[in-house]
Amino acid sequence: MEHAPAKPHPDAALLRPIENPGRSFYYIVGALLVIISYTGFVYFRQLWFGLGVTGMAQPVTWGFYIINFVFFIGISHAGTLISAILRLSKAEWRRPITRMAEVITAIVLAIGGLHPIIDLGRPDRMLHLFYNGRLQSPLLWDVASITAYFTASTIYLYIPMIPDIAILRDRGVKPRWLYEFLSWGWQGTEKQHKVLDRAMNILMIMVIPIAVSVHTIISYIFAMTVQPGWHSTIFGPYFVVGAIFSGIAAILVLMIVFRKVFRLEGYLKHIHFNYLSILLLIMSIIWFYFTFSEYLTGFYGHEPNEMRVFWYKFSGDFAPYFWAMIALNFALPVAILCNRKTRTIPGILIASISVIIGMWLERLIIVVPSLANPRLPYPTGIYIPSHTEWMMFIGGISVFILGYMIFARFFPVISIWEIEEGRQESAKIVTERINSYMPDPEPSAAGE
Amino acid sequence: MNKKTIEALQILSISLIWVLFTGIAVWIVSLIRESLRLHDAPDASVGISIVAIPVFFTLAAILTYVFIGLRKGRKEESEP
Repeated sequence: MEHAPAKPHPDAALLRPIENPGRSFYYIVGALLVIISYTGFVYFRQLWFGLGVTGMAQPVTWGFYIINFVFFIGISHAGTLISAILRLSKAEWRRPITRMAEVITAIVLAIGGLHPIIDLGRPDRMLHLFYNGRLQSPLLWDVASITAYFTASTIYLYIPMIPDIAILRDRGVKPRWLYEFLSWGWQGTEKQHKVLDRAMNILMIMVIPIAVSVHTIISYIFAMTVQPGWHSTIFGPYFVVGAIFSGIAAILVLMIVFRKVFRLEGYLKHIHFNYLSILLLIMSIIWFYFTFSEYLTGFYGHEPNEMRVFWYKFSGDFAPYFWAMIALNFALPVAILCNRKTRTIPGILIASISVIIGMWLERLIIVVPSLANPRLPYPTGIYIPSHTEWMMFIGGISVFILGYMIFARFFPVISIWEIEEGRQESAKIVTERINSYMPDPEPSAAGE
Repeated sequence: MNKKTIEALQILSISLIWVLFTGIAVWIVSLIRESLRLHDAPDASVGISIVAIPVFFTLAAILTYVFIGLRKGRKEESEP
């Protein structure tokens, strides 16, 4: 089928990265591919020589790989969970944000999910899971829940994208077969809209418990042991709160980058940053409350093994990381975001980067000190990550950036049809909604 | 690529999703059976694992519903 030349679109700014990506796109992709190739080499070196090339040794047998696993899966809560909550609560300002958030989830989950395999010296042993998996292990529950979450979030990303894919198909954007294949014959009829809306409604309700279950189950990997510092009843909600917290920070950073690079000031306005940054502020306070409760109860118990880990974090080798975590996750973001004068886009960027680093430190502080101070009479363990582990971390971040860039090269990062729908219907819908819950005027006042 | 090939690929992809999810369900059921046979897993573990099965099937059902629904919606519009 021949396509007419593409007409100017009212949301041309959203199509620009797809129709005209520019040379810098290819330069950045090239640079990322070099980093990823080197990371691949480093991984094959680990496969060849074994886990001896890492800094992990008895008693600290979990290091960067498990820290990054928990960290990346946490970031993944940015998308589907926050997007689903905003959609469910009918927050109209969500429209330019949801897809960006959903893409983070799909890419980061794939990266995070690979980390336990990287952590295995023999990745072929993953196959044992299929015929020798042990149901009592939370690690196995994790495999099931992460697979379910990855599937649900990919479907949740894909289904609302269908009308936009059809726009690209109709504009004759290459590769045409890809857009034809993915658009599933979308023509924008009323019946098709109904089908899409119904599916999205079911998905957004389904996705929330799945997302919550994923990070709860990740916390069970730690909490279901009797290891000091891990055996805690609040670890489930504590991990979920931390995940949402780091997720919001990740969305904010991406929004600021995309706004700058693709000149999306007309779509990502200050009000979007203001609302999300207030959400980040609230999550920072909730995170601090959970951290306080977690350590206070441990301290009051005064169990000797627990106290060894406690002081290792508060005043021992890990004290600089612990206090940096408190400063980066609580003191700095609260100081910046509480003040309207500093709650500007540069201020929000600083607060968000601070939270991302702080949440990574939190994962470090959870994983390593408990292993370094075991119940058995071992000397305190030492963990210094090797070049291999640092490279796998940098490689993971590079894969994320590359994945996001490739997505933005082929699909709009802001939902075009939802923006159009918002322009046409939002004002009417919101007015009707407000009228439905506002009290009716007194009959006498109405008559006057 | 012509339309018929694309349609065939679309149907194939939906069918493969069902195959994949059925495979996951069979895997979970076999693990449950094994753990019950060996009496080595608490009931809670078995319960948590059972919950995963309908989740996968619901997801596959939603995708299939959208796929069929969009095709039906398109056909009705093209009819005179």
